[in-house]
Amino acid sequence: MEEPYRLTPRLALRVGLLGMVAIAVFATLFLRLWSLQILNGEQLLRAAQNNQRREVRLPAPRGAILDRTGLPLVTNVPGTIVQIDQASMPKRKSIRLREIRRLARVLKMPAREIGANLIRHRNDLLTPVRIKSDVTDAQAGYLTERADDFPGVSVPVVSLRYYPHRELAAHVLGYTGDISQQQLDTLAKDGYRPGDTIGQTGVEAKYDKYLRGAPGLAIKRVDSLGRQQGSTTPLVPARPGEAVRLTVDLKLQMAAEQALRYGIERARSSGCQGCWYANGGAIVAMDPRDGSIRAMASYPTYRPSLYVGRVRQSALDAAGLTTRSAKAANFPALDRAIDAAYPPGSTFKPVTALAAMQEHILQPYEPLACTGQYTNHGQVFKNWDPFVNEAMTLTTALAQSCDTYFYQVGYRFYGMPSERGPRLQAWAHRFGFGQRTGIDLGSEITGLLPTPDWRRQTFTRKTDPGHWQIDSLWKPGDSIQLAIGQKDLLVTPLQMARFYALIANGGRLVTPHLLLDVEQASANRQAGRVIPTPPPPAPEATNVDAQALSVVREGLFEATHSSLGTSYATFGGFPIPISGKTGTAEKAIDPGDGYMHTFNQSWWCGYGPSNSPDLVVCALIENGGHGGDAAAPAALKVFEEFFHKQAAQQGAIHSD
Amino acid sequence: MVDYASRAAGRARRRETTDVASFVRRLDWVLIGAVAALVAYGLWSIAGITRHDVTADPHYYLTRQAVYASIGVLCLVAAVLVDPDVYRTRWRLVFGGTCFLIAIVLLTGPIRGSRRWLDLGFFRFQPSEFGKVLFVLALAGFLSERSRRLGDPRTTLRAVGLALVPIFLVFLQPDFGSALVYCAATAAVLLVAGTPWTQLAALAAGAVAIAVLVLGLLPAAGLPVLKDYQQQRLTGFLNPASDPGGTTYNITQSKNAIGAGQFHGRGPNNATQTTLNFLPEHHTDFVFASLAEERGFVGAALLLMLYLLVVWRGLRIVTLAREPFSAIVAGGLVVALLFQVFVNVGMTMGIAPITGIPLPFVSVGGSSMIANLIAVGLLLAIHVRARGARR
Repeated sequence: MEEPYRLTPRLALRVGLLGMVAIAVFATLFLRLWSLQILNGEQLLRAAQNNQRREVRLPAPRGAILDRTGLPLVTNVPGTIVQIDQASMPKRKSIRLREIRRLARVLKMPAREIGANLIRHRNDLLTPVRIKSDVTDAQAGYLTERADDFPGVSVPVVSLRYYPHRELAAHVLGYTGDISQQQLDTLAKDGYRPGDTIGQTGVEAKYDKYLRGAPGLAIKRVDSLGRQQGSTTPLVPARPGEAVRLTVDLKLQMAAEQALRYGIERARSSGCQGCWYANGGAIVAMDPRDGSIRAMASYPTYRPSLYVGRVRQSALDAAGLTTRSAKAANFPALDRAIDAAYPPGSTFKPVTALAAMQEHILQPYEPLACTGQYTNHGQVFKNWDPFVNEAMTLTTALAQSCDTYFYQVGYRFYGMPSERGPRLQAWAHRFGFGQRTGIDLGSEITGLLPTPDWRRQTFTRKTDPGHWQIDSLWKPGDSIQLAIGQKDLLVTPLQMARFYALIANGGRLVTPHLLLDVEQASANRQAGRVIPTPPPPAPEATNVDAQALSVVREGLFEATHSSLGTSYATFGGFPIPISGKTGTAEKAIDPGDGYMHTFNQSWWCGYGPSNSPDLVVCALIENGGHGGDAAAPAALKVFEEFFHKQAAQQGAIHSD
Repeated sequence: MVDYASRAAGRARRRETTDVASFVRRLDWVLIGAVAALVAYGLWSIAGITRHDVTADPHYYLTRQAVYASIGVLCLVAAVLVDPDVYRTRWRLVFGGTCFLIAIVLLTGPIRGSRRWLDLGFFRFQPSEFGKVLFVLALAGFLSERSRRLGDPRTTLRAVGLALVPIFLVFLQPDFGSALVYCAATAAVLLVAGTPWTQLAALAAGAVAIAVLVLGLLPAAGLPVLKDYQQQRLTGFLNPASDPGGTTYNITQSKNAIGAGQFHGRGPNNATQTTLNFLPEHHTDFVFASLAEERGFVGAALLLMLYLLVVWRGLRIVTLAREPFSAIVAGGLVVALLFQVFVNVGMTMGIAPITGIPLPFVSVGGSSMIANLIAVGLLLAIHVRARGARR
């Protein structure tokens, strides 16, 4: 009190002001604290709890693919994979690179490969990138123990596709892979998410909606770096994918693939012109009554397991599954049964015969001269057998595959009035040529059914400057050669099988299909329930005259049973009566020497038993020579398996 | 000057030896109790908050902080023993030393993007923390020297000019938070010294104008003064919903942490915002949010009450000080402390801009702890001598 200096009202006012500021400050802080902790506490507590909750998709095991008897064609096995969550990797590039190098050393793979893989997925940081799929227990254990040294790396156990029969039916089954950006864009509304596995080709793609199941949902607790704390709490269990049962018969499929290799081997050892280049083919075996596929083989083939887990480019290269390596391996990814078209040659003659009878330009018992060659407007068309010279009816002409007989029929088609359009092609179209068969597999080509219109549109001044005036015209030679399935006509083996099924079943055009049914995965030891699926389209009537059909069937029976029949040597001794037609189609091929050679494509199509057919088989051997040399013996192998019967010793070959 | 100082020191020594008991009695025991409680409470909180931070040693931060506190107490005792008059007479030396310490930091390599620390090997020395105390001493020295000419605008302008040197140096580090604390302390020093209201108002207007210029007009004209992140931190709290994943992520997490504490707190083991690291810097800048999460409203309010007690005792010392210098020092130190508490706590609750200001006596950090205890020591020294001079 003796120091009045300290108590000047001026200073007291100022200190008082500071005191008021202090009180205001603390009042503000208290009110805010009250508001946060007491008034909004519950809400913020929930926010804090949600902070650490992450929803995890639990992948659903993919459904199995079974054969018609329930034997597995594709199943799953548990596999340990290594994946990297890029968002959880260190932010600094140098540290990240060091981690990648260390991971590469552990996994014994090039670091550059990991880096390239990560860069490929850089625009999607939320989906873990799969680095390696076949990890040893030691590697998995090492990475799990030292999880702190490898931020972002996880070692989950997933279910991987397993192919118990290796490359069997590879083209039918197809393979799975990580969903692509384009697929995501179109399928996001169906519940597909980045990182999903999706069927890429074949049945895997076509019936993905059944096979994939529905992923489950779980909650895990994480810290701020996304590292898991404690265990995962499942919320919604994953629903496993349904099993898809195919009409394919495992044993018959095996037989068909073996038969295909056998046919190719036979062609290569036959020493015929160009047969050394026999290196591909296809066999289709189908129930002619409803179009269910019993076996569908294509050669060369591949192992779908190459696409399981982490796909290695080098392995795909070695297997010929990449664009640059496909040609050298003769396009193993190509399903020759539906995605490749060939001139059908003589196997097309029944089409000509049926169409001619339907159009009343040919009487079945009208004899036509079968000679060594046929001349029309100065152009010479040769018969495959130059020494023949006799009059033939239709059945004999089919049985012995007389080209000159059908040349005359073809010229009759040329002479028909043009108002009703090209009649042979109209019938061929009605029998399924030049259009997709509608099989339940992703891709399929139409082949080519040449017409005058097609000629006009294809050969124009622009596309064919030298000869367009000539080429754009439909000439007699076009009709004549079309009658024996040559020149521009291209068909797929499956189209051909469908046509022979039509002959076998009395004139109905079936839709080939692979799906038998879809079954829920069996759970709790309860048998799987069959899920309703849309039935395959019913066979369509083509209104072919039964009389005409029976003449053709007679011709096809004689082809395998009369002594001069083109595949008598193969089928004559088989205990079950088989009817069928050989084909030897000329096709210009570049076998790799840079020049085009005309090589024979070996065909055989037919069915058995002849009177009430249960199976239609169509075999094609690329560059296989005469139909009776390679394709017919291959087809016989399929019948042998189907009927559980062995053929007697095969006789000498006399064929087309 | 040297002569005067030695006499002052001699006087202090005499007082010590002659009447230790009355010296001890004349200490402000309420302030000592409040600060001791703050330090102890801070250590206890840090023990809980950092329990899960260093896997091998749950007491890693606690032991370090305890060592800092012990050093700080020694410094506090030393500060009490020294007569503040020593600093008044040597304010030029103090000012030069402050600027020098802050300036040499700028020559070192940056740590996490800023140059704030002098690495002494065992200890990372942060001059700007000690600068908060030294700066107030120097400015108070200057103003008390000119106490007769306080009404002169030139005195005020000179004082502001002096203040701007360390403020600018700290701003360059960049340590925007400390620069703000220096500004607040400058304002308090001028207020307590008795600068006329008109001049204070003019300064306030100038400060507002500069703020508008720096935050609004210059960036708009393409001349950014602040770095982008600084700008966003300063203005982000005004609109927290705009950017939950970016700049205001910390604030969102901090508010979640405080709110999650509710009334009783979640305890050190269930405080997931802290233990799972959602709350960044939870042992330094955001320590209040962690404390509020673990100890709830009860614990956080207790902490604020202790600060209020310290501020009250500090303001009381301003009124008790023996001469202008002591009063100005006490005012500057108290306001600096109040400002730090408000900005730090307000930041964690989303009502103040994000700046790297530690929470006094609680945030882990040696420089801050020691400097704040020295400041308390100065307040006590003023208190001791205020009464002691009369008896």
